[in-house]
This record gives sequence, C-alpha cells and structure tokens, in this order.
Amino acid sequence: MAANLPSAMDIDETAIDEGLYSRQLYVLGHEAMKRMAASNILIVGAQGLGVEIAKNVCLAGVKSVTIYDPEPVKIQDLSTQFFLREEDIGKSRAAATVLRLAELNAYVPVRDLGGKPGQEITVDMIQGFQVVVLCGVPIAKQLEVNDWTHKNGVHFIAAETRGLFGSAFNDFGPKFTCVDPTGEQPLSGMIVSVEKDNEGLVTTLDETRHGLEDGDFVTFTEVQGMDELNGCEPRKVSVKGPYTFTIGDTSNFGEYKRGGIFTQIKMPKIIEFKSLRESLNAPEYFVTDFAKWDRPATLHAGFQALSEFRVQNGRLPRPRNAQDASTLVALAKKLEQEVDEKIITELAYQASGDLSPIVAVMGGFVAQEVLKACSAKFHPMVQNMYFDSLESLPVTLPTEEDCQSVGSRYDGQVAVFGKAFQHKIANFREFLVGSGAIGCEMLKNWSMMGLGAGPKGVIHVTDLDTIEKSNLNRQFLFRAKDLGKFKAEVAAAAVANMNPDLKGHILSKQEPVGPDTENVYGDEFFDSIDGVTNALDNVKARQYMDQRCVFYLKPLLESGTLGTKGNTQVVVPHLTESYSSSQDPPEKETPSCTVKNFPNAIQHTIEWSRQEFDNLFVKPPQAVNSYLSEPNYLESALKYSGQQKEQLEQIVSFLVTDKPLTFEECIVWARLQFEEKFNHNIQQLLFSLPKDAVTSTGQPFWSGPKRAPDPLIFNSNDPQHLAFIVAAANLHAFNYGLRGETDPALFKKVADSVVVPEFTPKSGVKVQVNDNDPAPEAGGGDSGDVSDLAKKLPTPSSLAGYRLNPVEFEKDDDANHHIDFITAASNLRAMNYNIPIADRHTTKQIAGKIIPAIATTTSLVVGLVCLELYKLIDGKNKLEDFKNGFVNLALPFFGFSEPIAAQKNKYGTTDWTLWDRFEFNGNPTLKEIVDWFKKELNLEVGMVSQGVSMLWSSFIGKKKSEERLPMKFSKLVEHVSKKPIPPHVKHLIVEVMVADENDEDVEVPFLVVRI
Amino acid sequence: MSVRPAVLRRLMRELTELKTNPPEGIRVVTNEDNMLDVTGIIQGPEGTPYAGGYFKVKFNFTEEFPAAPPKCRLLTKIFHPNVSGAGEICVNTLKKDWKSSYGIGHILVTVKCLLIYPNPESALDEEAGKLLLENYESYCERAKLITSVHATPKVPPPEFATPSSSAAEASTTTPSSSAPTISTTIVHPPSLPTNPIVKALPSMTSPHPLQSSNGFSPVSATEKEKPQSKEKERHVSPSPLSTADSNVGEAVNVTTPGTTSAPAPAKAIKRAAGTTSATGVEKRKKALKRL
Repeated sequence: MAANLPSAMDIDETAIDEGLYSRQLYVLGHEAMKRMAASNILIVGAQGLGVEIAKNVCLAGVKSVTIYDPEPVKIQDLSTQFFLREEDIGKSRAAATVLRLAELNAYVPVRDLGGKPGQEITVDMIQGFQVVVLCGVPIAKQLEVNDWTHKNGVHFIAAETRGLFGSAFNDFGPKFTCVDPTGEQPLSGMIVSVEKDNEGLVTTLDETRHGLEDGDFVTFTEVQGMDELNGCEPRKVSVKGPYTFTIGDTSNFGEYKRGGIFTQIKMPKIIEFKSLRESLNAPEYFVTDFAKWDRPATLHAGFQALSEFRVQNGRLPRPRNAQDASTLVALAKKLEQEVDEKIITELAYQASGDLSPIVAVMGGFVAQEVLKACSAKFHPMVQNMYFDSLESLPVTLPTEEDCQSVGSRYDGQVAVFGKAFQHKIANFREFLVGSGAIGCEMLKNWSMMGLGAGPKGVIHVTDLDTIEKSNLNRQFLFRAKDLGKFKAEVAAAAVANMNPDLKGHILSKQEPVGPDTENVYGDEFFDSIDGVTNALDNVKARQYMDQRCVFYLKPLLESGTLGTKGNTQVVVPHLTESYSSSQDPPEKETPSCTVKNFPNAIQHTIEWSRQEFDNLFVKPPQAVNSYLSEPNYLESALKYSGQQKEQLEQIVSFLVTDKPLTFEECIVWARLQFEEKFNHNIQQLLFSLPKDAVTSTGQPFWSGPKRAPDPLIFNSNDPQHLAFIVAAANLHAFNYGLRGETDPALFKKVADSVVVPEFTPKSGVKVQVNDNDPAPEAGGGDSGDVSDLAKKLPTPSSLAGYRLNPVEFEKDDDANHHIDFITAASNLRAMNYNIPIADRHTTKQIAGKIIPAIATTTSLVVGLVCLELYKLIDGKNKLEDFKNGFVNLALPFFGFSEPIAAQKNKYGTTDWTLWDRFEFNGNPTLKEIVDWFKKELNLEVGMVSQGVSMLWSSFIGKKKSEERLPMKFSKLVEHVSKKPIPPHVKHLIVEVMVADENDEDVEVPFLVVRI
Repeated sequence: MSVRPAVLRRLMRELTELKTNPPEGIRVVTNEDNMLDVTGIIQGPEGTPYAGGYFKVKFNFTEEFPAAPPKCRLLTKIFHPNVSGAGEICVNTLKKDWKSSYGIGHILVTVKCLLIYPNPESALDEEAGKLLLENYESYCERAKLITSVHATPKVPPPEFATPSSSAAEASTTTPSSSAPTISTTIVHPPSLPTNPIVKALPSMTSPHPLQSSNGFSPVSATEKEKPQSKEKERHVSPSPLSTADSNVGEAVNVTTPGTTSAPAPAKAIKRAAGTTSATGVEKRKKALKRL
C-alpha cells in the first residue's frame, strides 16, 4: 500500500474525503481539518509514546508526518511499540516504523528523517515543520529546540512516559490564537423581550435555559421592533439568570416588539505560552486528578531530576533499586525542597519501565494537542501536564529481583510490576465484547501487555460487524483491504501479528451477546473467564452484559466516547454498583406536534424528513409485501393496527392505482409529492389555522416558537426543489426495481410538464357511519369502506413472487439518494417555515444519529481502562483502589472519582446488595418458593415474575392461583410464557415482590431457580 | 423491548398498584407472558365529548426507560387537537418534561387530563385545533360523534366492572386520612424502592370503609376524586397541560400534575392533604361545565 501513496503535492487541500473522515469531521469540522491538511508534523522518538502519537495524528489526517529516531530497535521497545516486530531488532526505529505508519492513512505521507545512531536532533533539522513533538528527549535538548521554536512560530510539545508516570509540556508560542475553545455547538434560542436600557436585559423564551456564560458573545436575527440587533456585531453577555442576560447599551435602539433569536458567536481566544526555559521555573500546571493536588509540583521536579540523572549516569535508575532512588530524591530536592519522597522513589523505581496503557493515555492526549496546535480548534493544555496511576501497582509490591530485565518483550512492564505479576497478566482470561474503535485499541494494549498470552490465558473477542470505510479513520487495526471482513477476526489476527505470543490465545466470534446466544455465552463460557470488557456502542448491549456480569459475579470494565469526551467505569462484584445502577439522561425528544406542524429549528425539519423517508419508501413497500406474502394479512395484522383504512389505501395506491411502469412516472410521482408536502399540506394548515388566528387568550396563534409557514411554488430551476425530485424519483424507482437516472435535464423536463391538482381545502372530517350499530371495538367503524378498498386489490396469488423493494436506510452510501432525499425534504420544509437550511453533512449527522468520534479520545480512554484492568488482575477489593474517569480533550479536562458503592438494602436484619441472590435448587414448585419466604423470612409473596412473564400475583384469581402454585417451576414458566425453555437453560432468574407482616413492601434480592 | 431487572421490579410494583387501586376512570390491561405489553384504558371523562368512550393507550418501553419516557400511542380513534390520526399524543410529559419518577399511572392521568383540557395551541390535529378555537360546539359535536362510533363499546371493558360513581361523588366531601396519600402515589409512581409512600400504601387501603372485599374492584370514592381536585387547585387556566409550545402568552409555565412535588414525596403528602377541600371539587365541576 505504501507504494501507492499520493505524494504531498497531489493533495488538494480543499477536498476532504468525507467517507473516510465522516465521524471525525463531526468532531473537528471542515475548517479545522483544512488547517490540519496544511501542517507538517515532526515527531522525535519512535518508541511507544512516539508511535502512539504518530498513529493518532496520521489517522486524524495532516499534510505529513515525519519521524526522527535513528537508534536501533531493542527487544525492550516491543513492550509498547506496537509497530515493531522481533525481526526489526537492530534496524533504525524510525525506518522500521514509517512503513507501517504510512499504511494507516493514504492521505498522509510518513517520512523518516534519517540520521545515524547516537546522533541527536538539532535545530537545523526541524525547519519546515509547523509542530515539533519531542518524546523522551533530555531537558537540555528540549531547551535548545524550544528556544528556537518559541521565537520562530513553531508549535512545540515535549512528552515523556516513565512506568506509571507521564508528562507533557506545550509551548504554542507567545501569541497563539484558539478559534474555538470548547468545541461545543454555538448556543441559540428564542427571545421574548429586550429592554431599552444602558444595560439592555434580554429575556429568552422559558422553554429551555439559554446556557450562556458571562463573557460569551451573541448576535441576533428576526428581532421585530429593535431592528438594530439583527445581524449586529457580537455583543458581550452578562448573565442575570437562566432565562435572562444583558447585552450592554440598547437605550438608543428602537422599541422591541416581538420575536427574535439570539445566536452565540465564538470569539477567538489569544493564549500566551511561556517558553520551556521560563516554565521550568514558573510552571503552570494542568491538573489531571484533583485528589492528587500536590503531585504536579513533585513530578515537575522529579522529571527534571530524572533527566539530570540520565545525563550524570548515562542510564535511567534501575528497577526498584534503592541506591538509584535515593540519588534521584536528592536531585529532585535540589530543585524543590517540598517534594514527596515516596513519589520520587516510585518514579525512580519505575523509570526504566514502559507501559502500554500509560503510553495510550499520554499518546492520545498529546496527539490531540498536536491537532490543536495545527488546527486552532479546542483549547490547548496550558502548560505543564503530569499524570500518574500509582494505584495500579499491585498490593504486594514486587522485589528488586523480581523486576530485573530478562531480555523479553515484556521487560518494560516487568520493570514496574515484576515477573510474578507478569505471569498473572499472561494467564488472565478476559472477554472483550466489541471490536470497533474501543475494541481495536483494547486489543493493541492487551497484546503489548501480553494479556492472555500465558498457558492458561485467553482473550475472547466478539463483534457481529463487518468493516466499513468510515471505520478506517480510527479503528487502526483495519486496512482498506479488510473492507467487508468481520471486525473481530481481522482485529484478532492483527494483534496476534503484533505480539505472536497471542497466537492461539485470542479467539474471535461473530455471535452478538444477547438473550438469543446464551447457549454460546452460557454457564460454561462465563466459568472459563475472569472478567469482561465492554467495547460497545449501544446502551442495550451494555445493560445486557452488565446483567450477565452481575449474575456470574464477573468484574466489568465499561467505557465510551463521544467526540472529545470519554468516560470509564469499573464494576467489581460485591463492591461497586453496576453499570445499570445509574442511567445517563437521554436526549429530550421533540414533541410530535412541533415536528408535525410547528417546526422552529432545522432539527425538527430533519426529524420530519426522516419520518417521511420511512413513510414513502420503507413502510408502503413493506405493507405491500406483507399483503402479498402473509396469508390473511388484511384480516389479521391490519385489523388491529388502528389504522386499517389508511394502510389499505396505501397498499392500493402502491400496488394498483399509482404503480409506475417507467422512470418518468417516478418523476411525476415525485413532483406530486412535492406539491402535496410543501404546498397543499401547508395551505391546509393555514386554512385551519390562518396567519391571523388567535388563541383562547387572544394572543396571535403564530408567535413565539410557532412560525407561520408559507407554501412553496415549484420551480425546477431552484436546486433545492430539483434535488428533492431527483432523490424522491430515484428512491421510488428503487421500490419498483426500475433503473434510476441523474440527468437534471430529464427531471426538469418531466417535472415541468406535470399538471398538478389545485389545492382545495379539506373542511370537516369525513366520518363514515354505517347503518349498523357502532362497532364494539376501535378501528372497526370503517369496515364498509375497507371492504370496498380491499376489492380493488389483486389477489396475492395473481402476483405470485412479485415483491416491492423497501429501502433500507444507509447513511454512509453517498450514491443511494437516502441522505440526499432527507436533506432536500428537510430543507424544503425549512423553507416553508423560513428556517435556515442545513447542508448535507449536517443533515446526515442528525438524521443518521451519528456519534462523532476521533482516535485520540479512544486511545486515551482505553489506556485508562487498562490501568483499571491491572487492578482487577491483582484482585484489589477496596473501593478507593479503583477510579472511574471522565475526560474531555477539547477543554481539556480530566476527572476521576471513586466508583459508587453498591447500595445496601435490608430485609429483616439482613443487609444485601445487587450482588446477592436467593438460590433455589432442584426445580421447586411455586408453592415451595412462596412457602419458603413465609416460613424462613416471614415474608408474603405478592408477585412472581421471570423475564417479562408475570408468573403469579395476588390479583391473579383463585382458579389460576390454585393451578399454578403446585407447578414445578420450569413447567410454570413454559405455561405462562407459552414458550418451551431451551435445553441449554439450567437456571431461571426470578424476581419477587414481597411484603412483611405489617403488609409493608420489602425489597429482596432476585432468585436463581435451578431447573 | 428490553428493560433492566430493577425497572421490571418497579413495573411489577406499579402494575400491582394500578390493578388494585386504579385512579378514577383509569385501568390497565396486562399481559401475563409479557409484562412490558401494557395497555391503559381511559374512561372518557363525564362532561366532555369523550364521555361514554373508552380510550386505549398502548405503552412501549425502551431500554432507556425510566430515564426516557415510554412511547405511548392512542389505539382508539379520537377527535382531539393533541392526538394525531396515527394516535400520537402531543404532551410534554411524554417528551421534554419527562421525569424518571413518572410511571404508567402518571401518564394515564395526564392523558385523561388532556381529554378534559385539550390544548389547541399545540395542535397535532390542526382540524380539531381549529374547531376548538373557532366553534366549540361543532368541535364537541364531532368529538362526540367519533367517540360514539369508535370508542363506545356495547358493554364497558370488563376492567371497569367497579362500584358506581355516585358513591364517588358522595364521599369527596368527607375526606378520609388515607386518601391524600393514595392520590399522591398515583400521581407520583414510586421511583425508588425505598420510597416511604410505597411502604405506607398497602396498609392504607384495607381499612377504608368503601374498599370492596374481593380485592379486585379497586378504587374507593375518595381515591378516585383526588387526582382531579388536586390538579384543579393548581391549574386554573383553561389549558393546564404543558403541551409543547404552550408556554407562550398567558398560559405559561403550567406544570403537569405533580412535577413540582416529585422530588419531595413527604411534602407532596402534606400538600395533597391540604387540597382536600370542597373548593377543589367546585372548581373542577365548573371547569367541566365549561366543556
């Protein structure tokens, strides 16, 4: 692949491959990515940290990446450098690495800056780069380079990882302009009043809080009366309340009448970076863990001391060597009297160590800083960052002897944790659920750690997905040649290649986890693993795995990312709460009347458009196919839908009256749809609710968030109009298996020739009342109508084998007209309501519910997860040993908290948590269980359920009760659920509701009934 | 459809409660082999064009429940400005004003209120909205017609085989100590297993004089009246339900029943107790007459 790389010159800086960068574009935006595409990056040092940064920067897409590291590869480098192999030992690190880096992104050329072993980087070598990153370079050399970069407008980053410690330093120059310090969408909202005052008070519509902060800037549109505000220069905000803010002097403006929208304007922020020389004496710390408030100062001295130690001794302190450690403490104390000696001692002990998770955390973080430097997007870290995860050390610390290098690829990890712990890591058995972005990074770390590589060790990985183009931007184990293959298989093979010790120890599956695969992931499977790591992209599967881990008492590592934000959670049996104990607040849905009649934002028109997509191209063909293939479809399924008549009309229309035979007829159909959706329906709404309508309180009906629409008059020369016709006609043609067209001339010609019906307002609702008595059940009232309609349909047998093609929504295929239709329809509706239209890219994100994603965040979050994994492998069991993490690389922000303890409940005098359960063996009868609760706990059972089946309850009735109480449990479950219990099921999870002797409800654990 | 075990437990609790002590004019139909298959039935409130009808509300719980509201749809055809032809219901309780402490009972009470106080300002069925604004009588006429054709069965659903409503009228003025607590619970379904109200409930029901003995006929009269009178206390405007967009103009900021007291159950009890006065009932009767 490397041979086909376009050279740097070939790249059109304005064209961004949206297919590849899709998810990342939603994080960074086009502007930032264009600036990145003009930046050349130099990374000095190609050990673990250097290659992690380079990997993330290559994936993100910059003009070029250059690597400098002429030193020969050593076996120890393989502890973290995932792009080096044993056969590379002795070659130049840079040379061995660049070819594999270059495979990551065809748009990013990767070069080796050359040099000879022993030759250090010099200032003359760094000309021509916009960003220079020094990894693990001594401070004297850092100063030499930074002195030059600070003066010459080159962005400088120095970073280092030592054992469980990491450091980073940023100097983006004396005047760095950051264009978007938060990365959040500009706020916007409707206003209801502006005072004329020297501190003009703006009041917003009290639907939602305005969300602004002091110092933010806003401008306005659509203000009536105080017209001066419309399109005004950004005005500085002073917040007065959740629905009010002031905007400075408005006393000379017109009188506010009504309406208006405020929009936040992001103002660039100038950041003054100090040089490294200045920063060494006057550091400005970026805090990564507020529980370790005094650690940055200690580590600031510690890392300088470490550099000094290297200069004096020509090597790093030896693993857990007391003499070297005391030398380092002395050096550190010279710089800073107050250092925490214990921390410095650990830094000395671990200095020669190198851990993949720490490299991942620092590499993800620094790579984002590189992107900030060249894109000006997001707020850079100012200015010194120190990070450690000392909590990951085992409870029983290794001895000096245990940490000695053995000449293996795990030496970097052994230096920190010792050989005994390495043995534990190697024989651990973990289940990785998902092999997407998080999964790939996880496997990379695990392969470097040697997780599961021992005789008893194993990694199970499952993912049902196959590889798509938009994955390649961050799921770095996949290449273009892997498109269409199973993710789990390709990822497993890729990491077994990175560390051949994993061969035979990493087993991939395609079966997704869920109730249907409990024969695969059942008792035996869970008995054979030590823990589960989720790498999932949906809440449902996360909740399911959580439930399974609670049942089987397995620790669970959970994580997720959203753009630059990420979080990690560790769930430990009998200790912490579980994943499902807390829920994220879901996004608030838009009320249906807003979508149907009163849109006021592009989100509303996109949601409408997405529904129309289903209503036009998915549901009708499905209904037709059901009619053709399911016996008695009209009599059975339709009858109970409550929508019988409407659905039947639709089937008649799609199968008989409006069935197209040529593509031209599809164009005609599309033209008529245009008329109906964007003209007649709007006219009908205005007929019902005229623009001058008033509410019951006499207010204008069309005011505030309700924008009065205007019908559109079709004009084939308007590209938005024509875009709708093109997309709708093609999708309609797809339904009927007709070949599509894209020539605009054809669409214009046909569309302009269509005679559209005049609008006649529908007045009064047609209610068909039969002579018969009112039907007893809903939906039955139109039976006369319905049978007339049904007569128009050909019998299914007369059309044997004939089927329509329902469209399956696929957002990532740019040629399928799906997003084109949704964009066109949404924009036409936006034009109806005078809402600013949105481009295809924006529409695609909202309609496709695309989660923004970037490799840097994933890399960091997965590093944090693996730092918790060390603790689980060690078997730690105290709450304070663990950390849940929250990060946002844009701000940047790190936050850690202790996991929340499992909530203690009580029945009688017994405490219990979600991890407890009652076990019943030998397939007891329901009565035996009920009696047991009465006899042993003096609790009255009020309801019994299994899964979603309600097996028994106090209001079930005497007959049913007498029938069910004596049933064996398995029999009872089959009786109520009306489904046989699959043979692999050996136990049932049962919930009961019980009350005590005072008739008060008592919470009790769930029941496991073995059958 | 899948929900977490803790949520299933909560549903079990609520369904039991709704089966044994349903709010006035509200019943639930459950399905033994699928607890998540829940249908509510709302009796068309007297004094509205929906009287005589029974309206089915279908619940669909997602894995995000109770953080996100269940999806609800009216299965019974109805002529109402806030219900679309497909049965979608436009009320903020089911969208942006949703709180995870709400449950099935709360939703059904809210929808019932919507039948009493339609909100033309956030019309889903613009035709019904227009009529309601312009010509109240023909709105009523049409709504009655649709009710009689689509919603009025020959015999009421078996779930409504309960004591007559005359008993209810009689007892509203003689509040019993147990009534306020029960009404509060109906409005705020238990969110936490430890909610003290939940524990208090069963003991409250049995000593009530009107409680039927078989355990199947649910509500006593006082309990039936409570949610209504309480709402009336706070919502004097003609459109008390915070449907979307309703916070423009005067009828701003009206919260759905119980939203303000949701976080503090103890307080709610007191407040509910305080509203057990004849004035609440009076106001409600007037409101109903207007309809």
